Amino acid sequence: MEPSAEETLVERARRGDPAAFESLVLAYQTLAFRVAFVIAGDAAEAEEAAQDAFVKAHRALGRFRTGEPFRPWLLTIVANEARNRRRAGGRRVALTLRAAAEHGAAGEDPEATVLATERRERLLVAVERLRESDRDVLVCRYFLDLSEEETAAALGIARGTVKSRTHRALARLQEELA
Amino acid sequence: MTPLELELRDLAAHLEIPTSPSLAAAVRARVVRRRHRRRVLALALAACVAVLAIAFAVPASRASLLRFFHLRGATVSLVDKLPPLTPRLTLGEPIPLRGASSFRLLLPSERRPEGVYAGDGGYWLRYPGLLLFEFEDGAGGSVLKKAALGTGKVEYVDVDGEPGIWIGSRHALYLPGGPPRASGHALIWQHGPLTLRLEAAVRLERALAVARSVR
Repeated sequence: MEPSAEETLVERARRGDPAAFESLVLAYQTLAFRVAFVIAGDAAEAEEAAQDAFVKAHRALGRFRTGEPFRPWLLTIVANEARNRRRAGGRRVALTLRAAAEHGAAGEDPEATVLATERRERLLVAVERLRESDRDVLVCRYFLDLSEEETAAALGIARGTVKSRTHRALARLQEELA
Repeated sequence: MTPLELELRDLAAHLEIPTSPSLAAAVRARVVRRRHRRRVLALALAACVAVLAIAFAVPASRASLLRFFHLRGATVSLVDKLPPLTPRLTLGEPIPLRGASSFRLLLPSERRPEGVYAGDGGYWLRYPGLLLFEFEDGAGGSVLKKAALGTGKVEYVDVDGEPGIWIGSRHALYLPGGPPRASGHALIWQHGPLTLRLEAAVRLERALAVARSVR
């Protein structure tokens, strides 16, 4: 969404325009759900977390600073909700790969496909074995393609910490795979 | 980007992430519910303020508030003791039925009042055995306040989808600036921007029939 269009919608939503807030929900619901899902690891929990996050964001619109980007602010709320559910659940449901049949392209060498799938499975298992803080930063940066600023907002850490933690997590992941 | 980072990016495309459900309707419903709850809370607070105002307005009665009923333009509180009541002496300044009121007066179907009076922040319409009082909400101190005995029959009613209160017992009527007056059975209800009060020695069903015929 264009920053100016987003700013207009946020301003209208702050003044109590329900249609404007609904436009923001429609624009960000997929991202919110994906963020919640990769953190909580469960679709039902993710849906609830994303929904709660939007309701909380609506309630907190009065405290939102005009001119600030809405997306990282929303991601902070979504990630908090998802982390709270993960904590309450007491366990983390690991991410999985889609069924091989779905990503084996037609005409591809079946053996190469199997090898690639095995490699991906190994990599995913290694990511899930990392400590939570390392796993989350990699998930945000590489699985969700969030910027450093958005990752910092989602995880509630400084941008510099995102850099250092990403570096450390990649090194640990490399060790896991060795 | 290192090969490992490229592999992570590639992995993202192969993750089993369910399609996002549509959240807009659920969020909208919850936001509306919350707004409604806040409005109800605000109304409850306003009602509390109104009740406290009544309590302070009738210190002579030393009445204990037992319960209250609230409409946009009127509050009825149940008390354990009514204040000393004075009979009504006048309804106000006589005016013609049309043209002199600040809004179009509503009339029960096919009935013309015997007299129309401007007073007490609204308009009185006098019929045989029936008094109708009409006022616009928020028209500066034109809020009705009533105190009824806790043992009396007071209930919320529906008048063609608009909220109303029925007082099926003798009660005290407080009008702006005046002493508490004795009143018989009364039905108070909202009608668009107006609040109407019908007073007559009738049962609820008859009062509702008259109220529903008002146009």
